[in-house]
Amino acid sequence: MIYRTAGQFKTSYRADQALFPVRQDAILLGIVLVLAWVVLPLTASEFAFQTLLIPVLIYALAAMGLNLLTGYAGQLSLGTGAFMGVGAYACYKLVTLFPEINLLVAVLLSGVFSAMVGVVFGIPSLRIKGFYLAIATLAAQFFLIWLFEKWAWLYNYNASGAIQVPNLDIFGVPVAGPLASSATQYYFILVVVTLLTVVVINLTRGNQGRIWKATRDMDIAAELIGINLMRSKLTAFAVSSYIVGVAGALFVFLWRGAAEPNLFDIDLSFRILFIAIIGGLGSILGNYLGAILIVALPVLLGIVPEALGLQIKSATIEHLNVMIIGALIIFFLIVEPHGLARLWALIREKLILWPFPH
Amino acid sequence: MKHVKRLIAASAVAALTAGSALAQELYAPNLSYRTGPFAATGIPLMNGQKDYFDMLNARDGGLGGIPVNFEECETGYNTEKGVECYEKTKADAIVTQPWSTGITLQVLPKTNVDQIPILAPGYGFSPMADGKTFQWAFNPPASYWDGMSMILLAISDGDLENLRGKKIAHLHLDHPFGKEPLPLLEAMGEQHGFEVLPIPVGLSEMQNQSAQWLQIRREQPDYVIMWGWGAMNAGAITEAVKTRYPMDQFVGVWWSGHSDDLQLVGEEGAGYRAISWSLPNPDAPVMQAIREHVGDKSLASEEEMNEVFYGRGVIISAILAEGIRVAQEMHGKPDIGPAELRDGLANLNFTPERIDELGLSGMMAPFATSCANHTGHSGAWMIEWDGEKFVQASDLLQADRAAIAPLEAVAAAEYAAANAPWPIDEDCQADS
Repeated sequence: MIYRTAGQFKTSYRADQALFPVRQDAILLGIVLVLAWVVLPLTASEFAFQTLLIPVLIYALAAMGLNLLTGYAGQLSLGTGAFMGVGAYACYKLVTLFPEINLLVAVLLSGVFSAMVGVVFGIPSLRIKGFYLAIATLAAQFFLIWLFEKWAWLYNYNASGAIQVPNLDIFGVPVAGPLASSATQYYFILVVVTLLTVVVINLTRGNQGRIWKATRDMDIAAELIGINLMRSKLTAFAVSSYIVGVAGALFVFLWRGAAEPNLFDIDLSFRILFIAIIGGLGSILGNYLGAILIVALPVLLGIVPEALGLQIKSATIEHLNVMIIGALIIFFLIVEPHGLARLWALIREKLILWPFPH
Repeated sequence: MKHVKRLIAASAVAALTAGSALAQELYAPNLSYRTGPFAATGIPLMNGQKDYFDMLNARDGGLGGIPVNFEECETGYNTEKGVECYEKTKADAIVTQPWSTGITLQVLPKTNVDQIPILAPGYGFSPMADGKTFQWAFNPPASYWDGMSMILLAISDGDLENLRGKKIAHLHLDHPFGKEPLPLLEAMGEQHGFEVLPIPVGLSEMQNQSAQWLQIRREQPDYVIMWGWGAMNAGAITEAVKTRYPMDQFVGVWWSGHSDDLQLVGEEGAGYRAISWSLPNPDAPVMQAIREHVGDKSLASEEEMNEVFYGRGVIISAILAEGIRVAQEMHGKPDIGPAELRDGLANLNFTPERIDELGLSGMMAPFATSCANHTGHSGAWMIEWDGEKFVQASDLLQADRAAIAPLEAVAAAEYAAANAPWPIDEDCQADS
C-alpha cells in the first residue's frame, strides 16, 4: 500500500535507469536527509553528537571505502585501520606544515596520500587472491602501525608519540580542536560524507563500477571481455583507500581530537570489516545500517538500564554489552548472511506487494 | 501496549527521583576499568577508591553532610569508551578521573572549555604540574618525571654522577604512558654521561617479550627501568627471571609494583624494586574504618586490601575527598561545583598531622599544592619484593626538582603553543 509501484510508468530508458525508479524510495531518502541535516542536529545533545551521530557517520564512511574494495571489486583487505591512520597522519602533517590551509581542503587532500599508499600495498593483488591477499594487506596493517610509532617526524617529535589536533577554524568558525562545537563538527562531517556518498553511488552505478563487479565475479572472464585487471584492481585500491583515508582524517580531527598509533590497530580494521559485512557487502546503504548496529547499539544498550532505573554495575553492563552485540551479530549472520542491506531489500520487496501478495 | 506504558511511567518516575537526588549529592564519576587487558591492575585500585568513599558515606554521611556519588563508568582502558564516559558524565560531574594517559590526553584540551578539573593521581602528562598552563589538571602527589628522577637517585646512591659511563635500559610500554619519562631520562643521560637504551614493548607483545629480553641480554645494561602496566609487568618479570637478569638492578615505576605480578615468580623475584608514593599499611585507622563500615560489601578480599594497589586506591580517593573538603570550607557551602573543586585541589595541604587525622598514617608522604604547583611533589619510597610481599626499602626520596622544573616549563609552553589559543593563568604567582 505504502510502497505501491502501480501507476508509476517509465516512458524512457533514462527514467528506468534513474537513481530512484520508485517514487517512495526518493521520498524515504528525503525524509532521512531531512532527519540528518535538520531534525537530528537541532535536537541532539552533546552526548548524542559525540557518541552516536558523529561516530556513525565516520564509521559508515570508512566502511564504504572498504566496501568498494571488498564488496564491489572483490579484494579482501584487513588494512583499513592503517589506511585510516595514513589519512589522519597526513592531515596532521598538512595542517601543522601549512597552518593557513583550509581544513576541508586538508581533509580531502589527506585521502590522496592514503590512496597512494593503498595502491602500493594493492600491487600484490595482481598476483594473489582471497585469503592470501588478506595476509598481504595484513602486512600493510602491521608495517604502517610500526611506521607511525617509529617515524617521529610524523608526530612532530612529540614526547608522548601522540598527535594532538590544534584549534582550527574555517572563516572564523572553529571546526576542529577543543573550541569547536559538536554541531559544527557534525555538519562538517555530514558535508564530506554526503559528498563522497554521492560520488561513490555514481561511481558504482557507472562504467567503473561495472568493471569492478566483473573483476569480482570472475577475473578471467573479465579479462576476456577486455577489462584491464591491473587497472581495475589498482583503481579499486586507490579509490577505496582515498575514502578510508578521508574517514581517518575525520576520525581524528573532527571526533577524537588526539590519537596514538595503536588507535589504528587491527581492532579498528576488524571493526570496519564487521560493519561492511553485517551491513552488506556490495551495497552503499548497508554501510550506514552496519555502522548504526555496531557503533550506536552498544551506546544505546549502555543507556537503557539507567533510563529504566535499574542499578547495574558499569562493568556488568560492559560484559552484557559484549554478549548482546555478539549474539546479535551471530543472529544476523544466520538470518540474513547478506547483511542488513539485503534484509531491507527483502522488506521493501514485501512492502511493494503488501497487502496483496501473490 | 499496557506494558509499554507502565515501563514509560516507571522510567519517568525513576528519572524524576534521580533528578531530585542529584541536587543533594556530589557526583564524582570514576572512569574505571574492571574489564579488558588491564583489569588485573585496575580492579584493586578501583576497589580501594570505591571503598574509601563508601566508608565516608557510611560513616560521615558523605562530605559536609552531602553523600558522594562515586559512580563508575567502565572504559576497559579503551580511549574511545573513555571519551564516551566523559561525555556521558560531564553534565553533572565535579571532577573527571580519566584513569589512562590516553584518555587524559584526549580530555586535557577540553578542560578549558568544559571547566571540569581532571584528577590524574600519579599518571597523565608530567608537565601538568605547571598549574599556570594547565589550570584544570591535577596529578598529585608525584609526576612520572618525579618518579624517574627518584629512581635515578636511588640507583646512583643519591648522586647521578655515579652513573657516568653506565648503561640504563628503559623498558616501556609503547604508548604515551611509557614514553612519558623518556625526555627527562635522555636529558639526564646527556648531562651525567650515562647511556640510555629505550626498549619499547608494543601493546601486542606485552605477554611475549622474548625479543626485548634478548636485546637486554645482548646489551647487558647496568640497570633496567620499567614503565609497564597491565599484562606487561608480569611478562617482563617472568622474562627477567628466565634470562637471569639480576633482580636488584631491575626497577619499576609505581604502576609496576603490583603484588600479583610478582607472586608468579615468588622467591625468584626477590630484590625487584619499584618506586611508590604509597605504602600499604593494614593497621592504619582508615583501613580499620573501611573494614568496619564497608566490610563485606567491599569487592576486595582481605588479602587484596593489604596490597600496594588497594592502598593506593584509598589514597587517591582520600586526595579527592580532601580537595572537596577544602573547597567546601573555602566557599562556605557544601554543594560545590567543578570550579570550586578546582580551588580545593589547588589548595591541598597534606601535613603529617593532617595525614594522621585522616587515618592515613604510614600510607602516604606529606605534600601541598598551589595554583602554580598542581602536583605537590610528595616524594616516594622504594618498595622491594622480598619473595612474598612488597616491603619498604628506602627512606622517603625526593625528586631533583631543580633538574625537572625547566624541562616542565618548556614542555608546558610547547603544549600551550601547539594548542593555541590556550589560556594561561597570569594571576597566579609562582611560590617556589
